[in-house]
Amino acid sequence: MTDRGAMRGFSDGRRTGAAGARATPFVDRNFKYLMIFPAVAVILFIGLFPVIHTLMISVQNLTMLDEDTSFHGLVHYGRLLSDGRFWEAIGHTLIFVVVALPTELVLGLALAYLFLDRLPGKQVFVALLVLPVVVSPVIAGATWRLLFDQRYGPINQVIGWFAGEDVTILWTVDPAFVYPAILIAEIWQWTPFMFLLLLAALSNVDQSQLEAAEIDGASFWRTFFKVVLPAIWPVMAIAVLIRALDLFRLFDVVWALTRGGPGTLTETFSIYAYVQGFQQFETSYTAAMSLVVIILLAITVTLVLRRMEIDR
Amino acid sequence: MAQLSIQGLRKSYGRVEALKGIDLEVDAGEFCVFVGPSGCGKSTLLRSIAGLEEIDAGTIRIGDRVVNDLRPRDRNIAMVFQNYALYPFLTVFENIAFGLRARHRPDAEVRRKVHAAAELLGISDLLQRKPRQLSGGQRQRVAIGRAIVREADVFLFDEPLSNLDAQLRDGMRMEIKRLHQEIGKTMVYVTHDQIEAMTLADRIVLLNQGQIEQQGAPLDLFERPVSRFVAAFLGSPQMNFLPATVAGDAAGPAVRVEPGVVLPLAGARAPLPPAGTAVVLGIRPEHIGRAAGTPRPGQHPVDVAIDLVQPTGSRLYATFTLAGIPVTAELAAHDVQSPGERLTMWFDMTRAIVIEPESGRVIA
Amino acid sequence: MAVRFVVAALVTVLFLFPIYWLAIISFKTPDEIFAYPPVWWPEQIQFANYAVLFKDGDAVTVWNSLVIASISTVFAMVIGTMCAYSIARFRTGGNLFSDWLLSNRMIPPIVIVFPVFLLFVELGLVDSFVGLILLYTAFNLPYVVWMMRGYIQDIPLELEESALVDGCTRWQVFVRVVWPMARGGLFATAVFTFVFAWNEFIFALVLTRSEVTTFPVQVTHYFGGQSNFWAKIAAMSVLGTVPIFIAVTLLQRFLVRGISLGAVKG
Repeated sequence: MTDRGAMRGFSDGRRTGAAGARATPFVDRNFKYLMIFPAVAVILFIGLFPVIHTLMISVQNLTMLDEDTSFHGLVHYGRLLSDGRFWEAIGHTLIFVVVALPTELVLGLALAYLFLDRLPGKQVFVALLVLPVVVSPVIAGATWRLLFDQRYGPINQVIGWFAGEDVTILWTVDPAFVYPAILIAEIWQWTPFMFLLLLAALSNVDQSQLEAAEIDGASFWRTFFKVVLPAIWPVMAIAVLIRALDLFRLFDVVWALTRGGPGTLTETFSIYAYVQGFQQFETSYTAAMSLVVIILLAITVTLVLRRMEIDR
Repeated sequence: MAQLSIQGLRKSYGRVEALKGIDLEVDAGEFCVFVGPSGCGKSTLLRSIAGLEEIDAGTIRIGDRVVNDLRPRDRNIAMVFQNYALYPFLTVFENIAFGLRARHRPDAEVRRKVHAAAELLGISDLLQRKPRQLSGGQRQRVAIGRAIVREADVFLFDEPLSNLDAQLRDGMRMEIKRLHQEIGKTMVYVTHDQIEAMTLADRIVLLNQGQIEQQGAPLDLFERPVSRFVAAFLGSPQMNFLPATVAGDAAGPAVRVEPGVVLPLAGARAPLPPAGTAVVLGIRPEHIGRAAGTPRPGQHPVDVAIDLVQPTGSRLYATFTLAGIPVTAELAAHDVQSPGERLTMWFDMTRAIVIEPESGRVIA
Repeated sequence: MAVRFVVAALVTVLFLFPIYWLAIISFKTPDEIFAYPPVWWPEQIQFANYAVLFKDGDAVTVWNSLVIASISTVFAMVIGTMCAYSIARFRTGGNLFSDWLLSNRMIPPIVIVFPVFLLFVELGLVDSFVGLILLYTAFNLPYVVWMMRGYIQDIPLELEESALVDGCTRWQVFVRVVWPMARGGLFATAVFTFVFAWNEFIFALVLTRSEVTTFPVQVTHYFGGQSNFWAKIAAMSVLGTVPIFIAVTLLQRFLVRGISLGAVKG
């Protein structure tokens, strides 16, 4: 075992002399490449090929009315820079990320602590609590739309009980309430995700370290920051990364609740791209927009993965 | 004719050279044991024979075929793994039958061979169980069963007993030896345990840092080690190594281990280096005994004071200081009563070896 | 503990309430749905809202989702696991290749869907089963590869080496040893793959018209400017959500590993 050190896997089977290579059949000789071929082919077909196509379109000038395929240079990229609505959409998206992410994290952590120690029926509670995570996001949005209805929804009714009078908040229309409405739906759906991951992470914290801290008389917060947080950090980082990327492409919940409205007030980047491409039929412009975002994200993701590689 | 023949075998992992040129011949029907400390390359060598590792240079022959570029399945070998490598989703029967099924052998033949192997190993009543319902020893038998139904040219064992507890290990060791006598196939066996190596092997191949340090019959290695490494690796408790200088004695070759203690070497030997040269004297604990009656030729008396006594029941290990280092002697159970005792030991200088300190080679 | 239990119960009720509300609307009569103040517990459970979906043929969208999600899951599992095996055991393509695979997963659907739409228009794949199946297969592949790589790495290498020595070809090792050894992981990964395809919205919205509408898209069709078909929204949502709840509850054991992209072994 130790003779092989850290090598866990097969050597690649192509290094020995040419003389005997014939003795091994083609399939075994090229096995590792044959095995990845179908997957790579599908991903390239759906991923790379269309991207190249898009690149070509983005320097032409295709719109609903105009089938102009002549070279137009970087005019659409230039237009992107001065498109206020695009940057606003990016801004709206970032608002959702910046508010929802920490809220989900803190709520998830609090819930995880609530369920950390022994509790009767814990398994059942956990099984029930995770259900929102697997609901289709667009269905989650639809559900909240029913809940938020100004007249027939239960939320205004409950608020009315506390206010002592009938309230008719227009959750999905009133500019003051659309952000809270979307955020509530989003946080409802994804706090259990954070909860589940952090519960698993907290359960794996070395019990003896906690006991040592307790014997040393460390306060809860001191123990949390010095012992617990470093231990759960790797899981927390992954959870935050996954959620940040999800939130950045936020579409379904907003679509179901407000369609980006009122006006363009809750238009996220994904919704704006959809509107440009499939409602305004600004083909070339949307192509340019998609490419810019792919490149920005590729850079971000690569950097983040690098960071995680170091942590591993 | 050699059943397994290896010439100039080299293998590196990146910059680390795991095997630095191995030459080896194993005869048909021989039980050959690769032994050495961890990291010596013994497992890599075995896996190269199996075809599980690519080799960088050299030739491996099984029978009269060069197998360098053959896949493992085409080498006609069978292998028993350290962790047994049983398939948890198959019954014992199907585990043993696995190799035959992979080669699409007729069902009747599969059944006959599996039952015969199970019979031989005494696991006939376990055939319908799953591996997780078996004890460690039973799993080991199934793993061996899976190898022997294959009727391979060469059987490879990769530390097959190291996952068993001590008692089971002794029993299984005996069974493997008996199995070898019964089926008479060529077997290559890797272990880090010198007792296993000594008891099982027709031929021991002792590896150190990717090279064969010495190979031969077990007693050959034990009695005529070529280096300090071999001498230290085989035997328990370990051989004593005393710093010494060559003493020019008129009566014959001798070494001085400390002022006033000059030990004349006995037996036929190569000539020693000039007087005054620093050497290491090696002598096994069992070759130091309490003086009694008249000494045999070559036995030389040394007066010592016992520091430490470790009785094992049948024998007794007594430790004393000589040449500034602790020296262990293996004595009869009641030879020493308590530490502090002063007595005379006889050093059997016919069995002592002289080592060149720099290279570690045995020179006389 | 008693206090904690009460708080835990309250929190659970709070989180489940939206699901309860959705379900209860689907069983209400129109009068109960549009009653003011809202009815929290209907007089009697009735299934007329579901019957309408089947009568109008809207329920076929659930069937469409089932076909598309199932077939794409099978494809993604088979070719994804093959790829994962190659990466896990031969380090094919090195870290760069596996990072690239995973990063595909992180690209927002909206930036992919536009180029894909243009491609599908040319190939005539818009509004077809083949188009969505192909797309979901590709969409799920990075996840399958990533997850299965982890599960395959948990299989002791000796099992495969033993099979090689015993006479298996590489492909036989994969089919006879790796596949059965990875059963648990295969099953869990397949369910999550299925859930992703089942719940997916943007691709389906863009790439379907009338022939192969999936159920999430169908639900959004019921939202009108003034007249929302509440009963249909609720009934269709429940119809599409119950199977997922059942599957996930059965797979509780694999849940954490599945949704954390394998980061937490759970």
